[in-house]
Amino acid sequence: MTTVSVDGVEVEVAAGTTILEAAQLAGRWVPTVCYDERQAPFGACRVCMVGVVGSPKPLPACTTPCRDGMEIETEEPTARRVSRAVVELVLSELPEAPAPHTELAQVAERLAVGEPRWGGAVHRRDDDLRHPYLALRHELCISCGRCVRACDEVQGAFALTATGRGFEANIAAGLDAGFEESSCVSCGACADTCPTDAISEISLVKRLKGA
Amino acid sequence: MSRNLVELIRRHHAVEAPTALEVLKAAMDDHGELTDADRERAAALSGLPEAAVFGVSTFYDDLLAPRGERHVRVCTGTACFAAAGDAPVARLSADLGIAPGERAEDRSVSLAETVCLGFCHSSPAVRVGEVVDAGPGALDRAVSGETRPAPEPDWESVLPEPVLTRPGGWHGLRRALDTLGRERLLAEVEAAEVRGRGGAGFPAGAKWSFAAKAAGPEKFIVANGDEGDPGSYIDKYLMERSPELLLEGMALAGFAVGAAHGFVLCRSEYPLSKPALELEAARAREEGLLGTGILGTDFDFDVTIIEGAGSYVVGEETALLACVQGLRGTVSARPPFPAERGIYGMPTVVNNVETLCNIPFVAARGAEAYRALSPDTETAGSKLVCFNERFARPSVYEVPFGMTVRELCEDVAGGLAGGAEIKAVQIGGPLGGILPASLLDTRFDFEPLAAVGCMVGHGSILAFDQATDMREVARHLLRFGAEESCGKCFPCRIGLRRAHEEFATDAPVDRARLEELLEALELGSLCAHGGGMPAPLRSLLTHFPEELGLR
Repeated sequence: MTTVSVDGVEVEVAAGTTILEAAQLAGRWVPTVCYDERQAPFGACRVCMVGVVGSPKPLPACTTPCRDGMEIETEEPTARRVSRAVVELVLSELPEAPAPHTELAQVAERLAVGEPRWGGAVHRRDDDLRHPYLALRHELCISCGRCVRACDEVQGAFALTATGRGFEANIAAGLDAGFEESSCVSCGACADTCPTDAISEISLVKRLKGA
Repeated sequence: MSRNLVELIRRHHAVEAPTALEVLKAAMDDHGELTDADRERAAALSGLPEAAVFGVSTFYDDLLAPRGERHVRVCTGTACFAAAGDAPVARLSADLGIAPGERAEDRSVSLAETVCLGFCHSSPAVRVGEVVDAGPGALDRAVSGETRPAPEPDWESVLPEPVLTRPGGWHGLRRALDTLGRERLLAEVEAAEVRGRGGAGFPAGAKWSFAAKAAGPEKFIVANGDEGDPGSYIDKYLMERSPELLLEGMALAGFAVGAAHGFVLCRSEYPLSKPALELEAARAREEGLLGTGILGTDFDFDVTIIEGAGSYVVGEETALLACVQGLRGTVSARPPFPAERGIYGMPTVVNNVETLCNIPFVAARGAEAYRALSPDTETAGSKLVCFNERFARPSVYEVPFGMTVRELCEDVAGGLAGGAEIKAVQIGGPLGGILPASLLDTRFDFEPLAAVGCMVGHGSILAFDQATDMREVARHLLRFGAEESCGKCFPCRIGLRRAHEEFATDAPVDRARLEELLEALELGSLCAHGGGMPAPLRSLLTHFPEELGLR
């Protein structure tokens, strides 16, 4: 077993446990955006930065394994500054603020990141509403990869992919002809994990009522 | 990297299926654009899901720009920028009547930007089809359809006995097989302290040792020939002039760690590299130096040469492995390191081309002789450096570590052409810091350069002359950084775009906010691309703040 301390709370963890998992065991909050406990760690959002005593720079909690004796500080000022800067950048690429119930909005609120100070390009509006139950709003996609991984690792349908590069990165179903033309099985795992409602379920009831 | 996709690729590779990227590249070469039918065919042949193939087809430069009968690619690398700013793109756009990324309606001609063609010694460089032209008149000839191959200067060594700038003789592999054996070879490479020449400077022996100890039914050697750093053409010279040194280095790596197969990933921007390596590999097979039962022993080793498709970040080792397997060239978090999980999920050594080219000397002559190559410093071995077109004698030179940057610029490369004066030099690529003329007496070595915010990096020494506007340098570098971000991690994907936007207009740049952004990039980014792009910006903020238009 490996023993680490998280904000002064000692926890014993199995070999290979990540800092994020240790923090959760210790009951300490670490902000995350691309993390979903049902999926392999991805390390894309860089919001889960924490301080570790002796480390010259903050470390990503979701992909860093615990070492025996590690002293983890979840609110270390430099780490927290990076997390907040990254969340501000993410908000700045969206053409509208994420809905309050979304995971991204909640992380931003808890980190006290308000209106982004960055002007500049935002994602072009592009809503794909062809599927009866799944809406894909590309402008809200933050390329966290959770939907792609849910489709790959959880459902095994491989209907989704990351697309593009750099700021233009986004997602597509199949050959980008919509969910219905792809290998999608309408399981909804992508909508379930999406932290911004870029993919969301269209309520059957609302649809029948024509709402 | 998706474990499921890697497993699919492994199974299809076992039955000799092509990768999705190979099929898509062939389709582009055949008809100049990609259709859904091409993507469906790539999926069927490679075994990748259609969505994954679509993702690949939207990632690489070579798959995106439609091609006409004459496909003109203009180099926007930093050496070409230092020579002529953005003028080459504007000139070709105007004369061909199409913007970069466009094809004429009659399909006669198409234009694309490319970074970089590795003709940094004779900017501006332009490629038409497979022919690279460079230097005075190259743009005129690209417009008039009279492109001709540009000459490349010979490389030179300032060492008493050249190590890298000479033909290989496979003496290292012979000695390793006859005399040393696996363990002593590995021990020699570790004792020689061969530091990685691709940028990070990580000890090659340590990588080999991890992979040698890792468990796996198969292991692989990957030579990183994706020398994307604008301003560098060192690995290009090695792959095209001494491919036998690289192949011998790979065979030695395979022998030391227990791998029977290697891959070289070379760049599509260097159209001569893959044919040169394939020709040499065929010759080596005929002579019993590659293949089964090498030199009459029970050691088997062979190589596959793969060409990339236009992406800077593919030079990062996890992105490189993704590209070799035909996936999107995005970076993966480490751990797991390639030494544990690389090609097809198996233990893999990834070494830069120049690093591997050092190994034959270590194997033939031993660690002590290797360490003696740079007598004035603790750093072992020699180094290839290369200079841009601003210099009087730009080429690739083999030098010991420990000379000053001034000695390299003035004595080796002859100072700037036409008596011009150096304003600053960027060393080691776009992620390297910028050294002002006042610090040229810094020693060219890992630690002294790090102390002034610079790095050895890939070994390019790229001069900006006194006429250079340093704010334009910042804009040029950040445009490159933003366009080449793989898009995986948030700080790099969004932060480099924001940093470029700050410099893209004439508006003053908020220094405090810029520094916050640089910190998030340095500390938050997943790989050295986002983490390293702030280095030249830091240099400019330190040495040329008055030119940046800050507030």
